[in-house]
Amino acid sequence: MLLTVQDLHKTYPSGKHALKGVNFEVKEGEFLVIIGLSGSGKSTLLRSINRLIEPTSGRVLFLGKDITHLKGEELRKVKRQIGMVFQQFNLIKRRSVLSNVINGRLGSLGTIESILENYSDGVLADAYKCLDTVGIASYANERADSLSGGQQQRVAIARSLMQNPKLLLADEPVASLDPATSNSVMQYFEKINKETGTTVICSLHFLSLVRRYASRAIALKGGEIVYEGAPSDIDETWFKRIYGEEAEEVEIR
Amino acid sequence: MSDMIVPDKVPNEFVASTGMLERRLRFVKSALLDTFFVFYSVIVLQRAVYYRFILDLRDFPFSWSQIGMVLALSTVAGFLWTFSRTSLSCRLFGISKNDKITKWTVEIFAWFLFDITFIAGWIVTRISIISLFSPDGIQGAERLFSALFHPQFGIFDDALFAMIETIYIALVATLISIPLTLLVSFFTARNLMKDSKITFVIYYVLRILLNFIRSIEPLIWAVIFSVWVGIGPFAGMIALLVHTIASNAKLYSEAIESIEPGPVEAISATGANKVQIVWHAVVPQIVLPFLSFTIYRWDINVRMATIIGLVGGGGIGNLLMQYQGLARWREVGLIVIMIAFVVWVMDYLSARIRESIY
Repeated sequence: MLLTVQDLHKTYPSGKHALKGVNFEVKEGEFLVIIGLSGSGKSTLLRSINRLIEPTSGRVLFLGKDITHLKGEELRKVKRQIGMVFQQFNLIKRRSVLSNVINGRLGSLGTIESILENYSDGVLADAYKCLDTVGIASYANERADSLSGGQQQRVAIARSLMQNPKLLLADEPVASLDPATSNSVMQYFEKINKETGTTVICSLHFLSLVRRYASRAIALKGGEIVYEGAPSDIDETWFKRIYGEEAEEVEIR
Repeated sequence: MSDMIVPDKVPNEFVASTGMLERRLRFVKSALLDTFFVFYSVIVLQRAVYYRFILDLRDFPFSWSQIGMVLALSTVAGFLWTFSRTSLSCRLFGISKNDKITKWTVEIFAWFLFDITFIAGWIVTRISIISLFSPDGIQGAERLFSALFHPQFGIFDDALFAMIETIYIALVATLISIPLTLLVSFFTARNLMKDSKITFVIYYVLRILLNFIRSIEPLIWAVIFSVWVGIGPFAGMIALLVHTIASNAKLYSEAIESIEPGPVEAISATGANKVQIVWHAVVPQIVLPFLSFTIYRWDINVRMATIIGLVGGGGIGNLLMQYQGLARWREVGLIVIMIAFVVWVMDYLSARIRESIY
């Protein structure tokens, strides 16, 4: 089992109980999609897995090892193996595409080496290879903020690939993109998942994308898992149960 | 686990009890403010209006027992007034009654406070239309202005060297301040320091220290350092340096506090260490604001360096003081024109540079 989440709770200092005992397992090579309304705890769950957020209680096992209470160097070693892609891309806007991609390798580079930006040929070659995987190697020397939204998200994917991740987390990676671009960005996640066998956990809004890309789906509602199973089994009844009675499914193509 | 199961009742009781505490605290605050208002009114009426304006006394009678009595009386009055819920402070802290009497009391008292403050200010600053338009005074001013507008170019080379000295004082102070300010500003940025108790203490102590340094004007620092290292440009430079670090550290750290958290999150998710996170996620976001603040500060420092010369900080201000002491107004005129020119050029240059880097 690649990832096991056991009875995970998170209460924010404001008193919001964002996760209320979440349990699930992820096998190697899966494409797991998390769905749910805004505020249902999807982001909190993803960030609790790679410890950008400290869970209040419960356990996260990564490759069979409890990583919930790791600190310092140990924690960073784990973080190196888990890539993450964000809704807002979170690139360094003023830097070039290439240096943004190389940032993905920071965890395994020395401090001085990374500050002087004195990268070895191997690192540069890897960066170009990652950019090539997402099809934007020709933009390597452009400023990151000069690219379109879809291209920026591909740079962010390339950055996470630089980590050679065993697990790739994606927090609503297409929520700020238009439908056509969303689909093409999702195809890169699919490609990475199929070709390198990288496990992907991705939160999404649109059910059509979930049915198209997920191998398994989890639905969160109010911090609890209300559905777990094949995406094709999410019918009208389940949909209403997850998203509320007033919700109506919209198709995007 | 157990710490997360919170019975529903607890928050409500908690809210209710903080509500009570809050109201009591507001009552105390408003009573203290009312006390101050009454005390202030009595003192102003007695000293500025009665003693100085009506009796026209030079030396005011002063006794602690009198002040103490006024304070005691106004404390009683202030608390009683707050207790009646009709005072100005009750209104300010939102605990006043909502009736006509309160409205009138508040309005009349607010106007009364404003009026006596203005009258007292007029009396204290000794505003006098007569001396502004006295023929003697105007004649003197005319003489001075005509001298200033006919500058004496005989001392041009001296003035030029002094001016260059001033510009260098400002430049060196600004340059040396950059690395020091950078170092300090990371330790005074709340978002980087709040995580552990130790760093938060450092943050707090540094903030207090910087506020203290900043609240002392460069002019005073120049006086201090002209005693410490002797009169001259070095004293002026170090005075400017100290004040520049203290005020720019605040601006820098505010820039650090207002960075986007996204890139920081992304870089820390790659397993980068603290230094790498700062260098690769924080620094790129703050380079431009830092540059802009620093250039603006150089501009400010040139202006300040001219003033600092007045108290022994070297440069053109020093020269200005010499000729002013000798009442040689035509030389003073030249110096003033040179200062105005340089300040204008610096102002223009710094604005253009700051525009172009964005």
